[in-house]
Amino acid sequence: MNKLIVSGVWSVVVCGLFVMGGTGCKSDDDELGLLGDDDVLIPMGVDGSGGEYELASRSDTLGDANRVTDVSFENVSFAFDSYQIAGSERGKIERVADYLVGNPQVTVVVDGHGDERGSREYNLSLGEHRALAIRAYLISLGVAGNRVQTRSFGEEQPLDPGHGESAWRMNRRGEFALYQ
Amino acid sequence: MKCTSIYYPLVLAAMLLAGRVALAEDIRIVKSGSGGKISLSLQGMRVGGGHAEKQFYSVLEQDLVRSGWFAIVNKPTSTVQAGGSCTQEGGRLAAACDVRNAQTGKRYVSRVYTETPTRSRELAHTVADAIVEAVKKVSGIASTRIVLIGSKAGKKDLFVCGADGADMVQLTRDGAPCLSPTWSPRGDSLFYTSFHRGFPDIYQVRLATGKRARVVSYPGINAGADVSPDGKSLALALSKDGNPELYVRDLRSGRLTRLTKTRFAAEASPSWSPDGRQIAFVSDSTGSPHIYVVSSSGGKAKRITFRGNENVSPDWGADGRIAYSSRRSGRYHICVLDPKTRIETQMTAEHVDHENPSWAPDGRHIAYTRTQGHSSDVYVLDTLGDAQVRLTQFQGDWYAPSWSPL
Repeated sequence: MNKLIVSGVWSVVVCGLFVMGGTGCKSDDDELGLLGDDDVLIPMGVDGSGGEYELASRSDTLGDANRVTDVSFENVSFAFDSYQIAGSERGKIERVADYLVGNPQVTVVVDGHGDERGSREYNLSLGEHRALAIRAYLISLGVAGNRVQTRSFGEEQPLDPGHGESAWRMNRRGEFALYQ
Repeated sequence: MKCTSIYYPLVLAAMLLAGRVALAEDIRIVKSGSGGKISLSLQGMRVGGGHAEKQFYSVLEQDLVRSGWFAIVNKPTSTVQAGGSCTQEGGRLAAACDVRNAQTGKRYVSRVYTETPTRSRELAHTVADAIVEAVKKVSGIASTRIVLIGSKAGKKDLFVCGADGADMVQLTRDGAPCLSPTWSPRGDSLFYTSFHRGFPDIYQVRLATGKRARVVSYPGINAGADVSPDGKSLALALSKDGNPELYVRDLRSGRLTRLTKTRFAAEASPSWSPDGRQIAFVSDSTGSPHIYVVSSSGGKAKRITFRGNENVSPDWGADGRIAYSSRRSGRYHICVLDPKTRIETQMTAEHVDHENPSWAPDGRHIAYTRTQGHSSDVYVLDTLGDAQVRLTQFQGDWYAPSWSPL
């Protein structure tokens, strides 16, 4: 188990697992075609054994018409080459979780982004890893996994088109897009 | 002779490669740059006065130079005498080629090649490749193609051009983010990741029909597709199981085999070994991305790069050497690693970024993305030391080249 508690966010995830009892909170809401939400919190064993889990199926039909625009949330920042959620960033995710708990009809797409350094392919994976870390934290805060999709853009959609440290810092981010 | 730490291994690699291709004994070597070249004369090649014939000649000459194996010396003393004619008759362009060794008299090529006159460039590529193959016993690359991404004002699309950068064709008109195009082993299909339907999915483009189909679209990322040498499987990075991991997908049945289980790391950029038994890939399990190798049927992965702050974008060449991009002193450089000898060679030295290497099927040249002043272009480098050549000469950014098979 030691391996599971290495980073802050994952220890939270593991705690979340115990709180929820791991017994499954399978939702009947199949709007996103969820395949067994109960697996979501089971991390892979250190030796590769352990439970598999599925992402929320994606919906290709999320249109701007369904976009929730009356609230917005701050982007989550990340360090270079890192997917770990810094303590200073947790509050941002907790505010999204509070909103989702209070608005059960809303689903969220978490977009993961990176800065321009490194290969585009690696940055796509890294951006997804970031989005998934945010998703895991949302789930540990009580949001059902079938309400949280992830989408990585890698380095393809920078917020700041510049090329220095400040642009890079702004571009390494997780964004929240909410849909009704 | 003064050797820098960068060029010393380059010379070593040159010697190794020279040993591998086993120079024929009857060939006189002309010293030029860091690689030995064979003198070749085109003096005996008579061409008609039309545009097609003239273009044939100039493209043939450029192709032979680009191959890296020849120094064009139009004298009767040159080792290889490439004679013959190129003429237009009855709506056909005919190149009658007579290529022989001036010292031994050995005949390398004796054949008539024909094309429609509008395809004089292609005809020259065919003849150049025939000469390279007959004289050097290695594959010529003049007729090969390169797929790449062009980006103008943030709009990205797939393009294909010749190995000399000519004949650029735009394949897609999505203006959407797209990544890492690659060829099927037979060269009849391309696979790549595109966002044009909103999410990063893998598409196959069949070049004969121009038809595109979405072939992998799990939740999460679908990226890094690389087709196995037997054409039956796709190695790829997926996050559908909750974390970016490496998989192999059987193209016919769609059956997936998961290769990595790294809860705390992201994987990317698989590249098959030439025998199909292993896959090189990128993982950041140490905290920064480096290159690993795993059996294509699964098992324990082994890290193979230890220099540089980051090592990404592996491309496993047909001769067994792996090209990749390594971040050293703040810049990305193209490196080549021979997994058997563990000799690692840095191929670029300039203080700009060199990324996304892709081997040419001659095992000698590498196409890559060169970024300077935030502007990217595709270049070709020669692992035996000839000067780099810029392929893309247009506005916008050009990157992610992938060299076609033969």
